[in-house]
Amino acid sequence: MNNRSIAAQDFLCAVTINAMIPLANERTLQAAFYILRGRKANQTLQDVHLYHLYPYYRMFPRFSKEDWEKIVSTLLQEELIVQLPAVTPTSKPSFSITEKGIDQAEQWKSAFQLDRWNEPFTESGLAEKIELFWQRLHLLVQTVSQLLSGDLGFFPVVSDKKIQQWVKNQLASHTAREQWQKRLGEELHTLWSPLPEDVQKLLIGQLSGATQVGKTLGQLAAQQKESAFYLQLPFRYGLAMSILQLQEDPVRLPLLSHLVVQTEKWDTRLTESAARTYTLVQRGMSIEQIADARKIKKSTVEDHLAEIALRCPEWDCSAYLEPTLSALIIQTSEQLQTSRLRLIKDHLGEAVSYLQIRLALARRQGERWT
Amino acid sequence: MNRILLEKLQLHFGHASFRPGQREIIERLLSGQNVLAILATGGGKSVTYQLPALLLPGITVVVSPLISLMIDQVQQLRTRRRIPAAYVNSSQDPAESREILRELGNGVYKLLYISPEKLQQPYIQSVLKRIGVSLVAIDEAHCISQWGHDFRTDYLRLPDAIKHLGNPPVLAVTATATEDVRKEISQLLQIAQENVMSQPLNRENIALDLVRVSDEGERREQVLQLMDELKGPGIVYCSTRNAVEVLVASYQLQGSKRVHGYHGGMESMERMLIQSQFLLGELDVIVATNAFGMGIDKPDIQYVIHYQLPSSMEAYAQEIGRIGRNGQPGYAVLFYVEDDWQIHQHMVEKEYPTQLQVMQFFQAFKTAASANKDAWGPTEMTEEMVQMLTFYAEQTGLDQEVAAASDSGAEHVQRIWQETEKRKRLKKQKLYEMLRYVEDVNDCLRKKLNRYFGEEQVAFTLHCCSCCGLDRQAYQGDRTNTTNKKDENSWDLRQALEKLLPKK
Ligand SMILES: [Zn+2]
Repeated sequence: MNNRSIAAQDFLCAVTINAMIPLANERTLQAAFYILRGRKANQTLQDVHLYHLYPYYRMFPRFSKEDWEKIVSTLLQEELIVQLPAVTPTSKPSFSITEKGIDQAEQWKSAFQLDRWNEPFTESGLAEKIELFWQRLHLLVQTVSQLLSGDLGFFPVVSDKKIQQWVKNQLASHTAREQWQKRLGEELHTLWSPLPEDVQKLLIGQLSGATQVGKTLGQLAAQQKESAFYLQLPFRYGLAMSILQLQEDPVRLPLLSHLVVQTEKWDTRLTESAARTYTLVQRGMSIEQIADARKIKKSTVEDHLAEIALRCPEWDCSAYLEPTLSALIIQTSEQLQTSRLRLIKDHLGEAVSYLQIRLALARRQGERWT
Repeated sequence: MNRILLEKLQLHFGHASFRPGQREIIERLLSGQNVLAILATGGGKSVTYQLPALLLPGITVVVSPLISLMIDQVQQLRTRRRIPAAYVNSSQDPAESREILRELGNGVYKLLYISPEKLQQPYIQSVLKRIGVSLVAIDEAHCISQWGHDFRTDYLRLPDAIKHLGNPPVLAVTATATEDVRKEISQLLQIAQENVMSQPLNRENIALDLVRVSDEGERREQVLQLMDELKGPGIVYCSTRNAVEVLVASYQLQGSKRVHGYHGGMESMERMLIQSQFLLGELDVIVATNAFGMGIDKPDIQYVIHYQLPSSMEAYAQEIGRIGRNGQPGYAVLFYVEDDWQIHQHMVEKEYPTQLQVMQFFQAFKTAASANKDAWGPTEMTEEMVQMLTFYAEQTGLDQEVAAASDSGAEHVQRIWQETEKRKRLKKQKLYEMLRYVEDVNDCLRKKLNRYFGEEQVAFTLHCCSCCGLDRQAYQGDRTNTTNKKDENSWDLRQALEKLLPKK
C-alpha cells in the first residue's frame, strides 16, 4: 500500500467516525454508510435531520460496500468503536464510541479541517442541489466557451437530457446568448473570488470548454497527491458556498442566479413522491385512501407523513396525533434521552403507534430548525 | 454526374477525391439499386449515404443502434457540413420527438438518424411515407444477422418497416461480416450478389502479435512494460471492469505515461471527459472494456493491446481496426492465458435464460405484465433478457391470447428456450473460433484473420505477424516522461477564467 492510499484510508475513517458519533447507541453501524452514500430512504433522511448530519449526507455517493467494510473493520480493530449486541430479540444491534475513539475523532477533525469544509451545510437538500448546480454550470460553461470560439461541434460533457434542455433554454434567444457570452466570466469571477485558492483551482480544473478539457476529480487528486475522497470536501464546499451566495444575493449575479431557481412543479421541500401524497392529504384523504389511490403501501404513506411533519410546519397533523399525546412522546424521548422509536414505544405501550411517535419526533425536529 | 459528385464532395466534405469503393457504391444507390457495403472502420462509410442524401429528393433515413454516434454525426452534419439533419431516438422526451417530426413533415431535413425501434412506430412510418424516403441506410448492418456476433432483435423487423416506407433503395453498411453474415443480410434486404461491395479487409499497416503467457502475474508484468515502451496513443482492452481497474491501479504505481481507465460503470461525465482528453492527446493510453471505441474517430492510434482473449473474431477485428487510420504503421498484440475463455463462457451463460426463467417469463407474459417492468423483479432477468424473450415469444407465434388459452405453456416455453439456446450455442461457437485463432500457433495470423472473413489478402507494410517474424522495437517510442508538467506557481482566477471564457 502506498502513502496515498494510507492517507485516504485515514481520511475515510476520520469522516466515518465523526458521522457516527451522534448515531452511537441509537442506530446500527450501517446508518452512517447510508448517510454518506446518500440513500434516499426515509429512515436515512430522518436520521440526517434528527442528528444534524447535513454535511455528511451524500458526501460520497459512490462509496462501495467493500470500502465501507474495510473502514468499519479498521475502526473496530483500533478499538475506536465497539459493537453493541441487540438488547431485545426484536431490536437492532448498535455500537458505541470508545474514549480513544472520541479523542481520535477530534484529532482527525482538525487534521482534515472537517469543520471548515462542513460549515456551509446547515440545511437539508443542499446535497442534491449541489449535483444539479454543478451539472448545469459545467454544461453551460462548456457551451458558452464553444460559442465564444465559434465552434459548436462538440461532445456535450453532460449527457443528461434534462440538463441539456435547461442549457438550451437558457441560451435560446439571441439576446440571452449575447449576455451569457459577455458576462459569464465576470460573474464567475465575482462568485468565486472569495473562495480559497485551492477550491478555485478544483472548480476551474474540472470545467471543459473550447480551450481545455476538464480533469476528473481523480486526476486532480493524483496531481496533488491527495486522495479523491478528500478532494470531494473542498469541491462540495466550493459549490455549496456558490449556491448559498446566489440564493442570498441574486441581484448581484443576475445570470448565474438562474442556476439556483427552482423550476420543479412539486413542493421542493419534499421528495417528489411525498409531495404527491401531501396534495392528497390536503384534500382530506385518509392513509388507506391515499395508499389505494396511489397504488403504494400504507407504510410508504406513513413515511411520507413523517417527512411532511418534518418539513412542512404549516401542516396540521392533529388528525393523527393529538397535541397532548405529542407532548407525552416528546417528554418520554427527553426523559429516556433517545430518539429510538422502539425504546419510546416500549415505555409508552400499546396506546401509541409508531406513526405517532415518528410524527411527534419529526415535528419537534422541524420546529428546531425553522 | 461525375463532376457533380466531386463538387459536392469538395463542398460539403472537403475531400478532393473519393476513397476506394465510395464512388461505385454511391453510383449504384443513385441508380436505385440496393447495396451491401463492407467498409473498414474509418473507411469513410458516412460519405456513402450522406452524399446521395444531398442529391436525392425527399429524405434519407439512417438507422443506427448507437445513440451517441447519432448525436455526434448530426452535430457534425449541422455545424461542419451545413447539411440539415436530425435524429429521433429513445433518449429524447416525447415533446422533442414530436417537434422534430413536425419539422420533418415540413421538409426541413435532408437526413434523419433514427434508432431501429423508433422506425417500427406506425406514426413515424406514416410521416416518413408522406414526405417520401429516397434512401434507407442501415448502419452496423450485421446486427440484422442471427449469425452475427451482435444480433439485435429490433433489426430483424427492419425489412417490414422498409416495405411500409414504399421500398426505397437500401444501403446496408458494416465493417466486418463473414460469408454467412453477408448472405443473410443480402437475403433479408434483397441485395443482389453483384451489389455486395467490399473494401479489402486486410489492414496492411497493422502488425499482428500474439503472446501466450502461463499466468496472470506474467501477463500483467509484460503488459505494464509494453504500456511504458510502446509509442502511443494506444488502447488496452480488458474483458471486465475489474480487470481495467486493477491494471490501471498497478500501472499508476510506477508507470510514467498518462493513463486512464474507461468502462460502463463510470459516471457518464467522467467517461466524456476521459474520452475527450484521449481524443485531444492529453492522455497516452486508455485501458478499457469493449464499451470504449464505438464511434470514436481518432486517426493516430498506434497500438491496441488485448489484455485478455476477445469474445469473437469480429470483436477482435473491430477493436484492432481502430489502429493507424492515418495510414501509419501500427501494432496489435493479443495476450492470453489458457483459461481466458472461461470468463466469456461465464458471461454467455449469464446472458441467456435458464429453462426456469423462460417459464417465469411465460407466466408474466400471460398475465400481461410484460409492460410493467416491476413485474420482472423477482425473476432476476435483465431488461435485455426480457426483450430477447419477448422477441422470440412473438417469433414462435405467441401472443397474449394464445398464452391465456394455454395453461403451463409447456410447448411454447420449450420452443422459446430452444431458440435462445441456439443463440447461446452460436456465441460459444464464436468463442471457439477465437480460441482456434490463438491456439493454432503454426500459421500466419494475418492469413487466419482474413480467411475468417473470407479474404485471401496477405499484404503488409512493415511487418506481417509474430509467426512470420516481427520486430517489436519498431513500435517503441522514446521513453520520455510525459507526466504532467508542474503546476504553475502563480494562480490567477481571472486569467484561468479568461482562458476558458475569453473576452469577446
Ligand atoms: Zn504473418
